[in-house]
Amino acid sequence: MLAVVGLATSSLALGGVAYADEIKMVGVITHIEISGKDAKTATATLKDNKSEKQVDITVNDSLTLDKFKDHRIVEGDEIKCRYEVKGGKNVSAYFRKTAGC
Amino acid sequence: MRRLVAALTTCLAVVSLALPAFARAETQDQKEQQEKIDKLAKELEALKKEVKRTEDKSLGRWLTIGGDYRFRIDSLHGEVPNYFQYLGPTAMPAAVPGYKPTNDTLMTNRFGLNMKAKATQDVTISSRLLMYKTFGMQTAQATNAGFFADRSSVLDGTVGHIPLDNTLRVDQVYATWNNIAGQPIWFSVGRRPSTGGSPTHLRQDNDRPGSAGVPGLLVDYAFDGATLGFAPEIDALPGAFGKLCAGRGFEAGYDVSPQTGGTKSLLKDTDMLGVSLVPVDIDPIRVDLQWNRGFNIFDNPNNVGAQLGDIDWFGAGVLSTLKEVGPGNLTMFASGGLSITHPNGNHALLAGLNSPDSGAGLLVNGPDKSSNTGYSVYAGLRYDLPSGTKIGGEYNHGSEFWIPFVPAADDMWTSKLGTRGNVYEVYLIQELPLAAIASFTSKTFFRLGYQYYDFTYTGSNNWVGAPVKISDLSASPMNAQMFAPLKSAHDIYATFEVKL
Repeated sequence: MLAVVGLATSSLALGGVAYADEIKMVGVITHIEISGKDAKTATATLKDNKSEKQVDITVNDSLTLDKFKDHRIVEGDEIKCRYEVKGGKNVSAYFRKTAGC
Repeated sequence: MRRLVAALTTCLAVVSLALPAFARAETQDQKEQQEKIDKLAKELEALKKEVKRTEDKSLGRWLTIGGDYRFRIDSLHGEVPNYFQYLGPTAMPAAVPGYKPTNDTLMTNRFGLNMKAKATQDVTISSRLLMYKTFGMQTAQATNAGFFADRSSVLDGTVGHIPLDNTLRVDQVYATWNNIAGQPIWFSVGRRPSTGGSPTHLRQDNDRPGSAGVPGLLVDYAFDGATLGFAPEIDALPGAFGKLCAGRGFEAGYDVSPQTGGTKSLLKDTDMLGVSLVPVDIDPIRVDLQWNRGFNIFDNPNNVGAQLGDIDWFGAGVLSTLKEVGPGNLTMFASGGLSITHPNGNHALLAGLNSPDSGAGLLVNGPDKSSNTGYSVYAGLRYDLPSGTKIGGEYNHGSEFWIPFVPAADDMWTSKLGTRGNVYEVYLIQELPLAAIASFTSKTFFRLGYQYYDFTYTGSNNWVGAPVKISDLSASPMNAQMFAPLKSAHDIYATFEVKL
């Protein structure tokens, strides 16, 4: 239990410092745009749980792209996402299914 | 010229007279058109709202249905050495000559139905219903043949995981409240997904469990319980999460001690408490650390007569998938576990409350109250080819006093991860190149496997009584056994499986 609390505390502390310019959201994927197996980037459209607005997120990291390609992340999945606006695009820094069981 | 001027003047006069009427007509048309457009826009808006209302209520928005079907055929061959059969506390054990139990063809049907409903924002209910039966039987007699404690009867936590009958039972049902206070925190309560944990999903060709479940080496049992979990966002520890888990293995009911004349209740609840830490969980590496404690471990879950003490478990595991190793992907894993018993001096009773004393406690016999430590190692790999062929091999070893909580494991003889000795398994999975329809991950495959059990000590998956070395079984009536002990066992199996 102490370990869990410790992990929680440290992560909250890290979260407050490291991600100042980034935007967090939790939303459901409504669309995934990916160009074939060799694609190096993809766009996922998320419907923000709070605002209900559709937000396009550009995903470049290979682990998440693999999950798109293997259908381990599909439309309808709820995602916890952190992104930064770069060159007019919302570029993902963190993109995972919401945890829980 | 005069005529031309007169004609022009006449034309202008006519046009000037006609224009206002034409203009009026045009304005009227525009107005009507605008009204039509406004009406259409309103109708379109109403239609959109209606479509949204329909979409909001549609099953696909809030309900996900899945499941699986499996046909399995096993060919089982074992060897029981000469041993002494325990016949009760007042009878002399009987010498039993060795024999070779076999079942050339044991066929089973298993059907699972999964449903996940989004009830409200951040709250879901997940359920799994299971039917599992032997061909030609509506009882568990064929598989519960009396060789091992975990297969001697169907328990609360193994129902649906051991062949029984054609009733569709609730294997899992739990509600999860996610994103508590806008944080990656969740609370979940119900009949847990505490079976088939990582890395045992590999040989079943199941999906990676994610943040659900528990390490398969320590726990494989359908617990009713709760979880409080936290998945922090730490860039250096991608996918990290921690969970505090609790489960109830036996509910003792009302305390009726005054009526029974005692000073305290005869039985207590059997509970499990656990802490699970996964510091990293990504494709290339997943690390899991687990501690569990079982309180007031019962003697016989189906007829509790006494409670024998507590058990601590510690576990650690690593799972790694490397992509494009040659033509395919390679997944490897290694897990280690430790069990430490804390006997309370009680003995198991032979048939529930007030029945005769068996003389055996928590991995001890007679007056012995020693704490015993067991260990286990479990390692394996699977190579996945682009053709849908998956080739795997696994090995596990359990020591003399190894006792995990894994009776719901998907093995016919006994849960292999609770074996005191060595188990070797190889398997081949061939997925069929058929387009998925029910879901993106739907698949159909065949599986062919072979298990070889080499038992070193008796009592695999049994926490009652001291283990006896297999080679010493016939040396003394003091080494008498309640269950017919196996020296070795083989299982050749094949399955045809469909996952929705």
